[in-house]
Amino acid sequence: MSSITIDTSASRKVRDLLKYLIENGKIDAALTMRKIPENNSYDLGLITDASNLDEAVPLIPVMTVNAGHVLSSISTSGKKIAAVLKPCELRAFVELVKREQGSFENLLTISHTCGGVFPLDLVVAEKIEELLPKYEKTVSNGEVPANTRDTCRACEHFIPMNADITVSVAGECESGKGCVMYLNSEKAEEFTEGFAGERGELKFDPSVLKKTLDARLAEKDKLFASMTTNGPGLDRLLDTFGKCVGCHGCNSVCPICYCLLCDFESANFDYNLPYFEEHLSRKGALRLPPDTIFFHLGRLTHMSFSCVGCGMCSDVCPVGIPVAAIFKKTGEKTAALFDYVSGRDVEEPIPVMVYKEEEFPDIG
Amino acid sequence: MKTEFTPRITSFLCKWCSYTGADLAGTARLQYPASIIPIQVMCSSRVDPVFLIKAFLSGSDGVLIGGCHPGDCHYETGNYHARRRFAIVKSVFESLGLESDRLKLSWISASEGPKFARVANEYTEEIMKLGENPTRKSIFL
Amino acid sequence: MTELPVKESSGSKKNSVLVLGAGIAGIQASLDLAEMGVAVHLIEETPTIGGRMPQLDKTFPTNDCSMCILAPKMSECVRHPLITLHIMSNLKEISGTPGDFTCRVIERAKYVDPVKCVSCGLCEEKCPVKIEDEFDVGLRKTKAISRYFLQSIPSEYTINKEHCLYLTKGVCKLCEKVCPTGAINYEDTDREIELNVGAVILATGIDPFDPIGFGQFGYHRYSNVVTSLEFERMLSASGPYGGHIEKASDGKPPKRLAFIQCVGSRDESIDRNYCSSACCMFAIKQSIIAKEHSKELEATIFYMDIRAFGKDFDKYYDKAENQYGVQFKRSKIADIKELPDGSLELKYTFENGDIQHETFDMVVLSIGLQPRMGSRELSEDLDIRLNRFGFCKSDTFHPLKTSREGVFVCGAMNSPKDIPESVVSASGAVAGAVSLLELERYDPSVSEEEEEKEKDVTGERPRVGVFVCHCGINIAGVVDVKNVAEFAKGLQNVEHSEDVMYACSTDCLETIKQRIEEHDLNRVVVAACTPRTHEPLFRDTISEAGLNPYLFEMANIRDQCSWAHMNEPEMATEKSKDLVEMGVGKARGLVPLSRLPIDIDPEALIVGGGLSGMTAALAIGDAGHDVYLIEREDVLGGNMRDIFFNFSGSDPQEFLAETIEKVENHDRIRVLLDSTIEDITGFVGNFRTVFKNVAGELEELTHGAVIVATGGNEHETSEYLYGSSSRIVTQKEFERMLHEGKFPAGKLREVVMVQCVGSREEGRMYCSRICCSKAVKNALELRKRKARANIYFAYRDIRTYGFAEEYYSELRDGGALFFRYTLENKPKVEKIRPDDPDSRIRVTVFDPVLEKDVVIDADLLVLATAIDAPEQNLELAKMLKVPLNSDGLFLEAHVKLRPVDFATEGIFVCGLAHCPKDMSESLAQAKAAGSRALTFLKKKSILAEGTIAEVRTDRCSGCGYCEEVCAYTAIEIDPEECVAVINDALCKGCGACVASCRCGALDLRGFTNQQLFSVFDSLEIEASEGI
Repeated sequence: MSSITIDTSASRKVRDLLKYLIENGKIDAALTMRKIPENNSYDLGLITDASNLDEAVPLIPVMTVNAGHVLSSISTSGKKIAAVLKPCELRAFVELVKREQGSFENLLTISHTCGGVFPLDLVVAEKIEELLPKYEKTVSNGEVPANTRDTCRACEHFIPMNADITVSVAGECESGKGCVMYLNSEKAEEFTEGFAGERGELKFDPSVLKKTLDARLAEKDKLFASMTTNGPGLDRLLDTFGKCVGCHGCNSVCPICYCLLCDFESANFDYNLPYFEEHLSRKGALRLPPDTIFFHLGRLTHMSFSCVGCGMCSDVCPVGIPVAAIFKKTGEKTAALFDYVSGRDVEEPIPVMVYKEEEFPDIG
Repeated sequence: MKTEFTPRITSFLCKWCSYTGADLAGTARLQYPASIIPIQVMCSSRVDPVFLIKAFLSGSDGVLIGGCHPGDCHYETGNYHARRRFAIVKSVFESLGLESDRLKLSWISASEGPKFARVANEYTEEIMKLGENPTRKSIFL
Repeated sequence: MTELPVKESSGSKKNSVLVLGAGIAGIQASLDLAEMGVAVHLIEETPTIGGRMPQLDKTFPTNDCSMCILAPKMSECVRHPLITLHIMSNLKEISGTPGDFTCRVIERAKYVDPVKCVSCGLCEEKCPVKIEDEFDVGLRKTKAISRYFLQSIPSEYTINKEHCLYLTKGVCKLCEKVCPTGAINYEDTDREIELNVGAVILATGIDPFDPIGFGQFGYHRYSNVVTSLEFERMLSASGPYGGHIEKASDGKPPKRLAFIQCVGSRDESIDRNYCSSACCMFAIKQSIIAKEHSKELEATIFYMDIRAFGKDFDKYYDKAENQYGVQFKRSKIADIKELPDGSLELKYTFENGDIQHETFDMVVLSIGLQPRMGSRELSEDLDIRLNRFGFCKSDTFHPLKTSREGVFVCGAMNSPKDIPESVVSASGAVAGAVSLLELERYDPSVSEEEEEKEKDVTGERPRVGVFVCHCGINIAGVVDVKNVAEFAKGLQNVEHSEDVMYACSTDCLETIKQRIEEHDLNRVVVAACTPRTHEPLFRDTISEAGLNPYLFEMANIRDQCSWAHMNEPEMATEKSKDLVEMGVGKARGLVPLSRLPIDIDPEALIVGGGLSGMTAALAIGDAGHDVYLIEREDVLGGNMRDIFFNFSGSDPQEFLAETIEKVENHDRIRVLLDSTIEDITGFVGNFRTVFKNVAGELEELTHGAVIVATGGNEHETSEYLYGSSSRIVTQKEFERMLHEGKFPAGKLREVVMVQCVGSREEGRMYCSRICCSKAVKNALELRKRKARANIYFAYRDIRTYGFAEEYYSELRDGGALFFRYTLENKPKVEKIRPDDPDSRIRVTVFDPVLEKDVVIDADLLVLATAIDAPEQNLELAKMLKVPLNSDGLFLEAHVKLRPVDFATEGIFVCGLAHCPKDMSESLAQAKAAGSRALTFLKKKSILAEGTIAEVRTDRCSGCGYCEEVCAYTAIEIDPEECVAVINDALCKGCGACVASCRCGALDLRGFTNQQLFSVFDSLEIEASEGI
């Protein structure tokens, strides 16, 4: 596999690549972050006309929606798509493909080493451009930028695991080597054939990001140690989730929650008057809508091992519950039961679909 | 008026092994506390993880799954799936600081009446030590 | 007995069969017959069905719990409407001709009216007479009125008339006094009945060898010497010691355990020169289980040869040795001495003559199997012949026939067998029996008339009726039944509640029906004993009252409440209320369910035209069904074409020719030679197969069942210089040589046979089972032709199981020399003249007896090569969606009790495709596969389960979790619609898929999420006051 060394900024080079791919008919559409000229904000755009790519900012540290989530509905359209994905978006998509919710067949995935994204409230406050220079510098130094999502700061999977093309950004770009596009698959070689740039045989070396990794792991320890759910007993859980208003926003932005309709919104949880009466007769009071904690515990058992830690859920929570951090922490434990890493490999079976005859000797 | 804590343990027992084992315990007149409230299910794999959570949140002081021993499942592989699901719920409880000892899975075969009684006794004792499930008191869960 | 009046004469010879013996073989035979629509009379000598299996704790090689797998079959058997059970009965005479037999049966007096008995056990508690418990082999006491064992089926009590005080001495009558239902009847008498049947199947099973005569092993003299059956009862959780192994001398657990093999087997001195076939595995299992009980325990097995010849047995043996650290010592026990502390000193000699002494805490005698007590009288009564060891006589080509036409045999009655072999032979015997009957295809679905009788309750508000049973004092003695019934009245949707004395009594069942009428009930809850035994009865009852049987729920307030909490009556009452409330909670959400019929095509497809395939084809064809027999090669016969001899002297080629002729001329069998399968789709009753025919064209078949009989291949070895000399041949080639009389040029004086070529080592960790017997057979044939030939065997274990042992002895006694080799020290082979393709062969083998190398210049080296699974198995397995094991052999649904079925219904396996086996075993299994297929094909339709999974397609995301977790391939994701589709015919209703579904798109009828949630809601608990 070969590499392409980037002489301009990484973001621009990726944009050029997308343009090249569309203009040469290699893809039908590009999925990338875009700056909205009208209001100075950002969104995720699916672009078929190359001229619209001028606004593309493929590597902007903003996530308005987990792109893996969005891809699941468009990847099977039959159109050839190149998608620029953050590592966690790519992992989310891998998890979805395992669940038959998408396909890599017509997809070229471009991902990059990731410095983390800014929370949406900063984006809304239009402060991103001011923050960017410092962000980039911090990332290049292998440090963890402040102001990014808490789960981003604590994310150790900032190197894409199985993208067709990996663009090195975080910590490496300014370290003298120049930014490099690593072509990881036959598909990548085929698509980039004819694309300008100096070809080489460079291999991506994760060890150059050791400093970043250590910093992230330290951040993770800090985050996990400071969580409001820590400590034994039900009370902390009540404190944390007691604020929940039951909007189910976390579930609707979650890339792993692929269900057409969440189980917790199904008839199983369809409460009616007799139900209320019965409960009231026992307890004398009832929270409405009911089952707030149940909902979160249920989601945790359903999909925490597949959580990619993208942080969307925390970002949309209207009452500031650190949903993402809780999921990340819980998910790491549930995934570890099966040596599972979500989104690592599309061939790795989902833990609850398979079993080993001999495992968990302590259970039973 | 009840003044002493009487634990209640919601017990999902698979029809072919553990429920039969529980019946056998009775037939042999083996004594165990009335804390065990049996619910027959076809297979331990029928126990959705949310059942455990729901039973816990509804105030069960303990939740027990009884299934066929690994390899013995009447439905070939159901208990293997049950075991993984149980491991997940238990891990979630541990991560959140909930008392994961309130959840238990035990393999009890159709001929293990004595084992059923033993598990019932030991688990009840364990739960007695843990005390009443705080979810009983909580109204606004 | 002739003075007994004939009380009953029943049955139609055209569609009924008598099965004698209700062990696992008898149960399997009865169930297979009944499923084909045959009326079965199952005659059992003891008071319960089940036979030997309930005495077992675990079963090898999977460590399955014996009762767990047997109990469902027992209840299925006792509940089957076409099976009439005659317990405590004996078959005395068979008269008439095949197809039209009259059987005289004596039903012994039980002295307890089974209709009235509620199995409460009060009688047993009060009975003053203690006698040795037969089931627990004397390790505990039982009473003169008792249940044979706790999980007996039927569960009613019986009186032992030899020991009952009243029946023997005319005093006592305590049981009559305490019986709450008046079930005791001392006036009961033996009855004689006559049954008209078309065929008879004998399955009287085996007894364990009684080692009491064996002075040197000290059984009964030394308290810590026990038999393997006694030890099994000790291991059993429901056994006399509750699963704790204890020394009789001091009640302490043993630390050092010795197993002595072949006690009562392979012993000419007591005229038992046969191998009991199961004891090696039995001992290995017991050693593993014992070590699981106690990690520190050390176990040693003293043996002559380890005969782990069955499927996956060698892996189990390996596991015992290497994972569990069980010691295996090939040696002979010379003496056992009891030491003052009760421990036992064993003196044993190794093969090199070394003598050793070792002390053990407990010695287990691995006792052999022998014909069931009374077999000789039975054989005289029924006019059937026995072999010299007293087992029922049958021959190689007809392993399931007795000497009397129309009377078949199965189980261990005609040779020692393990459980799966017994099950196979039972299904196989059924194939023979049905060939004498006149069976029509029948439709088990509910007639429309009956369906119309059912009340439509949809849309109605739930109106629940609750019946709380006293069960005499069984429940009411502990639980305040009236209080519970009163409590139920206050529950939501409860329209009626009452307490009843015996819910299951005939008059109470009438009451329930009346109440349904009076109160217009549309759901019924009975709080009584366990649904396992009584749910069917109550379902039938509400069905008679016009309600769908699934509108019923049971609360178990006896077995799991009053009996278990006898000292906490208040708590038991509270718990009963909870259980009733939960029951009502669930009942509220119950909806009528129906069992949808699935049409069954009457034809069968058989893949493979070897002996197994042909035999299965004949079994099905003879029963009047069309069969497609598909074979890749251009000739029928398979591996059988290379077999020319067998021990009994009859001619296999003649039998093969007869079989081929029958198949080719059968008007029901279409033979498709030179044909290969391209694709198989569909499911039970509705398969569609595309194959390429002899002309290379694609053809399509539709059929209701598939039998896989793809056979096996001789392993192609390159070991021992095979291929480099005309004097190195395989056993198969050697057999043909013997047959054709064409030997290598020159004299044939020194012949070496090497066993286990390719078997039992890396890459093929299994025993090929038949090679030892085959080599012995061929060696004996050689001896007939070349009396002066010297025969040498290099072997690892000689595995001439069953009656082949005699021939092994014959060979050995005739002077053949046997050298045991190990994997580390295999025989060395070189050509004396390396460049000569006809060179003689120099074989060097280490003799462990003399402890030195022996060099033989052989005129012929014969290799017993392994049996391989054909590579094409993989492709076929994929098409059928059935599994293979790690050796590439087809993996049956359950290694013990479903040895010819696949988990996917309608597909069966037999012959070498399943695992290596000999001719007789292949014949039996092929017939079994035919029978099993007929249990489906004889029905015009089968009924899907009522409680099966269903999909709400509008919610399904098509993620495939459910497809992955289903063990029955009953769910597939529709690739077009991207939603899960459930095949009602295949779903077993376990609910694994439902609990895997993230989207709430799946549910299990009869056990819906909502129903279970409402159970939790009924359970919702308030904080206790005062805390």
